[in-house]
Amino acid sequence: MSQHAPIRVMVVDDHPMWRDAVARDLAEAGYDVVATAADGAQALRVAGAARPDVVVLDLQLPDMSGVEVTRGLRAAHPGARVLVLSASGEQQDVLDAVKAGALGYLLKSAARPEFLDAVRRTADGDAVFTPGLAALVLGEFRRLAAAPAGAGGDAPRLSEREAEILRMVATGMSYKQIASRLVLSHRTVQNHVQNTLGKLQLHNRVELVRYAIEHGLAGEPEGGGRA
Amino acid sequence: MIIPNGCSFDTVTVTATPSGAQRSSSEPLWRSLAVFRFVSVGYAALRLGTVDQSEYSRPDWAWAVIAVMAAWTVGTTIAYARPDRRTWPLLGADLVVTVGLLLSTALLQYPDATGHGALPVTAIWMAGPVLAWAVRYGRRMGTIAALIVAGCDFVLQRGAALNGAVLLLLAGWIVGHVARLAAEVATERQRVIEVEAASRERERLARDIHDSVLQVLALVQRRGAEAGGAAAELGRLAGQQEAALRALVGAGMGGAGLRKSDSAPDVAPGASGEVDLRQIIMSAQTDRVTVSVPAQAVLLDRTAAAELTAAMRAALDNVRRHCGEQTRAWVLVEDEPDQVRVTIRDDGQGIPDGRLAEAAAAGRLGVSHSIRGRLRDLGGSAIVSSVSGEGTEVELRLPRVSSIAVASAPRTA
Repeated sequence: MSQHAPIRVMVVDDHPMWRDAVARDLAEAGYDVVATAADGAQALRVAGAARPDVVVLDLQLPDMSGVEVTRGLRAAHPGARVLVLSASGEQQDVLDAVKAGALGYLLKSAARPEFLDAVRRTADGDAVFTPGLAALVLGEFRRLAAAPAGAGGDAPRLSEREAEILRMVATGMSYKQIASRLVLSHRTVQNHVQNTLGKLQLHNRVELVRYAIEHGLAGEPEGGGRA
Repeated sequence: MIIPNGCSFDTVTVTATPSGAQRSSSEPLWRSLAVFRFVSVGYAALRLGTVDQSEYSRPDWAWAVIAVMAAWTVGTTIAYARPDRRTWPLLGADLVVTVGLLLSTALLQYPDATGHGALPVTAIWMAGPVLAWAVRYGRRMGTIAALIVAGCDFVLQRGAALNGAVLLLLAGWIVGHVARLAAEVATERQRVIEVEAASRERERLARDIHDSVLQVLALVQRRGAEAGGAAAELGRLAGQQEAALRALVGAGMGGAGLRKSDSAPDVAPGASGEVDLRQIIMSAQTDRVTVSVPAQAVLLDRTAAAELTAAMRAALDNVRRHCGEQTRAWVLVEDEPDQVRVTIRDDGQGIPDGRLAEAAAAGRLGVSHSIRGRLRDLGGSAIVSSVSGEGTEVELRLPRVSSIAVASAPRTA
């Protein structure tokens, strides 16, 4: 994104103090905070009109789960990219939100530059991986691979390179360090990481559609994720 | 694991009054009683129509008594259907009417037959009020009602029906006992439900509170670091507490209620059973150490999990000792089909080539003894790799299949 078209951000958090702090940080750094919301329903209502590039989403909302909000946002406003921010790092919640289409995940204790950088990268469509998220994704691929064959032989698999890179991210290495260790370009490392997320999200959508068909709910390919 | 908001509202509705619980627990018994009355009226009519006709001097009147019994059965079934009508007057009337019908036998039957063990016209139907008293008021009143009815029967037949009297007494006592047991079980169940609802609510509150505290600590950490000076120290402390609380919440919520002793980081060696390795290892999380785990529980034998955690701690201690307090470290837990892998990486200076072997040769390698030794005892392995200037990586591998068998074998190393 260039200087003359500031990144449009929406902040969804039920904690007013935190919401204001994040909005102020973003505004000071030159981002355009187009909307804030205190709960999931409000977020879904506002998102269509506010047309944010990035939604900074807290997973702990009073009315809806992070997965529901993520899915709702993706359906209501597909252009918005979701960056999950959470305080407690509840593992299953984070994983579910990412599978539902969130592009990245950051703990709230992340330093300000790290956070601002994550918002910019999310706006560019780059996945934002913490070591925690990398471990969750690795674990999820292993779980899918180990799942009984009844779920279909189409469980997504990591390539050796992808697994290697995810393990490096999970042990705290930066993309730069990984690139130099593996003699790859920074961009290639980023693409590998992104691919793992894409496979999970695709698998998740396929599963949703299959579920919808099996239960006679088939309609739009989004799998019923209506706002 | 995850409590949806709004769940707490559902739990409120299950709170019923204890008396309500007792009543509802006896409902099946009341229904059985109604069935018993109808069946026993039918039985009495059948006997009168087939077997016993020769015993009656006035069969027409005996049929009239059967008709009254049938009417009374319908009446009491309707009356007893509503819990608020199961009162003294009704139960008393039930007993009086039944005894009256029983005693009418004396006027209808040949005295000879009555005296030689012929069934009274009411037959087993007379047990109805005994059972009603027992269900409503318990074992003592059930016995008293049985004594009244059996006493009248006894007098009527001049002692020829002792067997029936004893059975009636037993029925009154046992049904009363069962009714009370059912009520106690229902009360207990109600209490458990209430406790469960309360603890769920408490858990939800704790989650909310933890979340709020985490938010504030994260904010203080961030603002403190930016402000610098004394505030930076505050921010650093807030960061430490934030990481500690997050580890605690992560460990506690993972399997809340399933295995209570898991959250204790020090697992007694030799204790049996499986534990979730994630919950133990999460306790190593600080503001300098990031612990990353899969979303699914990593189940391991308790002893193996404790040893693996101890090895990980030894590796982290090593990082602190050799690279300084400020060095960051990452711990990754992986659950593979055939092994559990714990990787510890730091961003310190790393170990120059040859230094590791040199140190081992000099016999001063804590790494070698406490980490490699522990893993070898468990049937696993520890691999230390380092690139100078890029930190050190310690990989602990514990094979899944043999881990338990090897762990319990005597140590020979």
